Amino acid sequence: MRRLFVALVALMGATPALADCPLDLGRGAGWVVFSDHYMIAFRPDPMRVEVGEPFALVLNVCTKGGDPAELVAVEAQMPEHRHSMNYKAAIVASPNGRYRAEGLVFHMPGRWEISFDVRAGEESERLSHDIILK
Amino acid sequence: MIRLLLALVLAATATAASAQPLLDWTEEEVRSIGRHGPWPPPPVRDPSNRVSGTPSGILLGEHLFNEPRLSGNGKMSCATCHQAGRDWSDGLAKAQGMVELDRRTPSLWNVGYGHWFGWDGAGDSLWAQSIRPLLDAREMNGGTERVGALLRDDRAFACGYEKAFGAKPGNDNERLLVDAAKALAAFQATFVSPRTPFDDFRDALLAGDRGAAARYPMSAQRGLRLFIGNASCNACHFGPRFTNGEFGDVGIPFFVRPGEVDSGRLGGLTRLAESPFSLLGKFNDDATGENARRTRHVRRLHTNFGEFRVPGLRQVGRGGPYMHNGSVATLEDVVKHYSEVNPDRLHSDGVPLVRPLALSPDQSADLVAFLRSLDADVPPRPAAAPLCP
Repeated sequence: MRRLFVALVALMGATPALADCPLDLGRGAGWVVFSDHYMIAFRPDPMRVEVGEPFALVLNVCTKGGDPAELVAVEAQMPEHRHSMNYKAAIVASPNGRYRAEGLVFHMPGRWEISFDVRAGEESERLSHDIILK
Repeated sequence: MIRLLLALVLAATATAASAQPLLDWTEEEVRSIGRHGPWPPPPVRDPSNRVSGTPSGILLGEHLFNEPRLSGNGKMSCATCHQAGRDWSDGLAKAQGMVELDRRTPSLWNVGYGHWFGWDGAGDSLWAQSIRPLLDAREMNGGTERVGALLRDDRAFACGYEKAFGAKPGNDNERLLVDAAKALAAFQATFVSPRTPFDDFRDALLAGDRGAAARYPMSAQRGLRLFIGNASCNACHFGPRFTNGEFGDVGIPFFVRPGEVDSGRLGGLTRLAESPFSLLGKFNDDATGENARRTRHVRRLHTNFGEFRVPGLRQVGRGGPYMHNGSVATLEDVVKHYSEVNPDRLHSDGVPLVRPLALSPDQSADLVAFLRSLDADVPPRPAAAPLCP
């Protein structure tokens, strides 16, 4: 699990356009996923995700052009078995521009694909990230 | 010289025969095995239950658990079906309440560590689950008033209640019903199964003590390798209790009678949503609401139809019959079921979690040997102390 954590500080230093969109969510660890238009930084809370234990994701959603972006939905599934979570995450926007997705539970070990539906204006997109849970 | 050589050969042979071999476990396998411990876990503290873990609450719960006056006919207690001498079950294929039920009496070993209760998970706390058989007309058929009257009018129970809850039992029967269930839950949460041969092996393996680990029988080692490997049993039977606490469809027929089905988890989620005793209701003692996260976020999926709670496997060899409806008689038959399960019945879109394992007779015997290594003898229980001596 820890191997998957990606240090963010160096990445941010090389991206001046994102000065208003910090991807370092604290504690110096987390993941970044990006597409041509969006970047999402996120970390779990608690930091260590355990099989069968509820957790939240703390997220920051940005567009590469600096426009405001909205997190619409967070979902997760095990692609091999084609089943989703037994729980539905609820998204809460924080005053500091971050999001918190609450109520996730990965109920089996294996590969989980987290998907993020994001929107900026009329454009929406789905980004995803894999986590191997042991 | 020849005699000396012969003696050396004999000595070497004797040494080899006395030492049990140890499988060459990979780092990944050792990590997987480690996830099934340590055992036992710390004692249960349920924040939704203010008498959880308290000696007076546990004692009141023990007396209530054995009290037939809680039932409609005055003959049935919780202990009628959940018998201490039968690993907190009854050995029957179908539970016998006021009538024969459609499901088996689940064992209560390690029940306090769960987060969904009952075969369909209609209870989100052990105390909420304990209310159901008290009220269900097919089970104890006790009724709310009967529980309230017993706690108020029986001198010993009234005294035990006051010790546990810090106040005399009042006139709110529903409140007394919930409090009785919380005491029952506090008692049941003490049912922690003893350490097993598997636990000794697991701890020795993690500590690198090959000598101690090699005392674990080879057949059990081979069965364990199957369990965490090719058979992938640990996808659902995960963690120290050998359950992820969730639900699955393992190919057991869901018809209970011609034209009538047991919808399992799907119906359980409906009952959960309708229950006034869920963790989202007013009886949750946890003001933070933290412990209600699963209840708040759980969702009802069409795939929940025919799913039942994944049982823990500690003490599994001492129980039986097996499966939610008691339709499988022995542990050997359980392994046979997973070896021969019909994949068409399971309607899996992706890589199926349950598939026919096609085990050889030796593999089946190894898997059974491993499962039996999760059993431990249980010392006899002392009689309950008086409520108010």
